[in-house]
Amino acid sequence: MSDARAVQRRATLTNNEPGWPTLLCDNARSGGQAAQPWRAPRRARWQISVEGAVRGSPILRGELLYIPSLAGFLHAINIRSGRLQWKFKAAAAIHSTPSLSSGRLLFGGDDGKVIAIDAASGTKSWEVASEDEVWASPVVQNETVYFGSADGNMYAVGAETGALEWKQMLGGRIYSTAHVAKGRIYVGCGDGNIYGMDAATGHILWKAATGNGIDCSPALANDTVFIGSQDFVFYALHADNGTIRWRYQGELGITSAPAISGELIIFGCKAGTLHALDIRTGRVIWKCRIGQVITAPPVISGSVAWIQAGFTFAVNLSDGRVLWKANLGNAVQSAPVVTKDVVYVAGMEGEIYALE
Amino acid sequence: MDRRAFVKRSCLGGLALSLDHWGTSPAFGQDLIPPVPPIHVSEPLGTQVSPLRMPGVYPGRVVEIADARSIVANRVSQAVVARMLERGLRELTGERDLRQAWSRFIQPQDVVGIKINPSGAPACCSSPEIVREIVAGVQSAGVPARNIFVYDRYAYEMDIGSYQALVPKGVRVTGVQEHKLDASGYDPNIFCEANFFGEWETRSYMANIVASGVTKIINVPTMKDHSAAGVTGCLKNLGYGTFNNVDRSHSRPFSFTDPLIGIMCSVEPLRSKAVLHIMDGTRMVWHGGPLTQNQDFIFPAGLILLGTDPVAIDTIELEKIEAKRSEKGAPSVWSRDPASLTSDSAAFYQDAARNLFYRQPHHIAAAGKLGLGVSDRKLIEHKVIHIW
Repeated sequence: MSDARAVQRRATLTNNEPGWPTLLCDNARSGGQAAQPWRAPRRARWQISVEGAVRGSPILRGELLYIPSLAGFLHAINIRSGRLQWKFKAAAAIHSTPSLSSGRLLFGGDDGKVIAIDAASGTKSWEVASEDEVWASPVVQNETVYFGSADGNMYAVGAETGALEWKQMLGGRIYSTAHVAKGRIYVGCGDGNIYGMDAATGHILWKAATGNGIDCSPALANDTVFIGSQDFVFYALHADNGTIRWRYQGELGITSAPAISGELIIFGCKAGTLHALDIRTGRVIWKCRIGQVITAPPVISGSVAWIQAGFTFAVNLSDGRVLWKANLGNAVQSAPVVTKDVVYVAGMEGEIYALE
Repeated sequence: MDRRAFVKRSCLGGLALSLDHWGTSPAFGQDLIPPVPPIHVSEPLGTQVSPLRMPGVYPGRVVEIADARSIVANRVSQAVVARMLERGLRELTGERDLRQAWSRFIQPQDVVGIKINPSGAPACCSSPEIVREIVAGVQSAGVPARNIFVYDRYAYEMDIGSYQALVPKGVRVTGVQEHKLDASGYDPNIFCEANFFGEWETRSYMANIVASGVTKIINVPTMKDHSAAGVTGCLKNLGYGTFNNVDRSHSRPFSFTDPLIGIMCSVEPLRSKAVLHIMDGTRMVWHGGPLTQNQDFIFPAGLILLGTDPVAIDTIELEKIEAKRSEKGAPSVWSRDPASLTSDSAAFYQDAARNLFYRQPHHIAAAGKLGLGVSDRKLIEHKVIHIW
C-alpha cells in the first residue's frame, strides 16, 4: 500500500477503530489490503452455527467476531475458542452488517430501528427508529451515524445518544450502504438515482439517474464515485457533481459493491461474472464467470480477491484465475473478514467458519 | 388459541386425475412410474367461498398482449409493459377505464399479495418492472401501499432479485422462509398430506401469508419449462409457492407434481384469494427450468398473458413452450423416453435433449378436472393482441 493510500485509509477509518470494524473493513471499503503472501486455507480452525440465517457480513474487533442473523440476534463469538461469548436479541431480523464505533456496535433491523449496543457486553445503549426496514450498514464518521432506510430517508444521528441530527427524503427505498468522505455522502437509491449529499445538513447536492433501481453500495477513489445499478451498468461519476466519467456494461444487474485496489476496481454482476476494470477508464482488465450469481462484494487482501457466490472463492487479483474454492454454506450476500492468519466466513444458514 | 375448525378431504390418491394419461406413456406401461399415493387435505371448515375464486370471473379466457419492445437486450421496458398491462386488463374485463378494470378484482379494504416467482432469479424471474405496474394498479383501486405485499416462499431468492429495493416505498416485501428448514411461516392446520417416497415429513403446510395475511392474491408467474412439472406457470407458482416441503414430491426420475400442484391450488383459502393471474412472458425459458441461468435457453418472447383462469393460461403457456422446443429440435415435454433421462444436473443445464425427470405437463389438465379452469384447447378463448 502506498503512503498516500495508507494516509487516506487511516483518515477514513471508523473512528480509528482497530480490526475490521465495518462492512469491508473500513469506511474506504479497503478490505484490509495488507501485503500478505497468498496461502490457501487448509482447514477450519473452528466452525459454529449461530441462531438464524445470515445475510449480513461479520465484523471483527480484538477477539470478538460479530455476526448478525435473521432470527434477530447479534452474536459475539470469541475467535480463539470459536464459542459464543454473548448474543443480543433485537425485536426483528438483522440484515444489516454492523459497524463499530467508540466501543459500540451499530446495526439496523427489519423493524426500522438502528440499535447501538456495548461491544464488550452486548447491552443496549440507544436505539433510533425509522419508518421501514434498515438493511444498509450504519456508517460512522466524526461522531455521526449515517444510514438509509427503506422508508426512503437518509438519517444522520449522534453516535453517542442516537439523537437525530437530520433526515432527508430521497425518491425511493434505500438498501445501499452510504459512502461518507470529505463531508459528503454518496448513496444509491431504489428510484434509480445516485445521490451526492452534504454530510452536515443532508442537503442534496446532486443526483445522477440510471436506468433502474440501485441496491449497490458505492466506493470512492480519485474523486470518483463507483457504483452499479440494476440497469446492468457500472458507473464512474465525478464526486463533485455526479456527471459521468465512464460507464461499463455488465450482463445483468449489479448489486455487488465494488472493491478497489490501486488501479483496479472489482465487482460482481448477477450473471455470476467477476469484472476487473481499469479505475481510470473502465477498460476491462479481466473478467471471469465464477458462479450462478454474484450479489456480494469482493474483499481484496494482498494479491487475492475473496468473494462468496454460492461457493467461497479466492481469485488471483492480476488475472481472475480461481486459486481456491470451497462449498461453505451457499452464501451469496455476505463478505468474509480476512486477517493475516484466518479468514472468517458466514454461510447463508448460519454456519460460521474460521479458515486457516 | 386457534378457534377455526378444519375439515379433511381425500383425493383418491389423485389416481382418477391421472388415469387417462397412463395409456399414452411407455414408461407407465412398463411400470416405471409408481402410482400416485392417497393425498389428504386439511382446510378450514366453512370458508367463505369467494365468487372470484379460481377459475374466476372469466373462465377459459386468456388475453395475450405481445410487444417486442418490452424486452430489448435482456432489459424489460417499464413504459412498454405498462401499456401492455393496461391493454390486457381492458381486454380481459371489457372496462374502458383502467381503474375500473382493477376494481373488478380489488377493493380498497383488501390486503393484496402479489405472488411473484423469483426462483430463476436473476436470469428469469417475475420482472420488477411488471410488479411495479401491478402495485400502481392495485393502488389505483384504493389500496394503500402498506396493504400490498410482494411475496414468495424463499426470502433469499427475492433478495437475489433485489425486489426490496425496486418496489415503491411502503410496499412490504416478504419471504415466507429465511432458510430451507424454516417452518415458522406456515399454518399448522392447513396442509396436504401424502407419503410419496417414504419421506419422514409427509405434510406440506400452507403459508400464513396466504392462510390469514392477505385477502386477495395477484399471481405473477413466469413462462418456463420445468424439469419435473413440464412447465411452471400459474398453477405451480401458486401451489408450490404456497405450501412448504414440496421437494419431496420429486425423486429422480419421478415426480408427483401431477396431481399435487392442482390439489394444492384447490385448497381454501388459496383458491378463493387468487383472483387474477398475470404471466410475465417477457422472457421464456424453453429448457432448463425452473432454475437455469443459461441464456441459450431463454428467449425474449415479449408477451404477457392475463386471465382469471390459471388452467387456461397454463395450457396456452404449455403450447408456446412446446412450439419453441420443437423449433429448437428439443424433445416434447410430453416425452417419456427413458433414454433422454440423466442424473447429471450439469448435462441437463447444457443439453435440451436431456432431462432429470419424466415431466408431468398433465398436471394442468388434472387441475382442470378439479374445477380450477379450462384445459380443453377448443374451449379456451385465446385473444392475441400484437401491439408492436
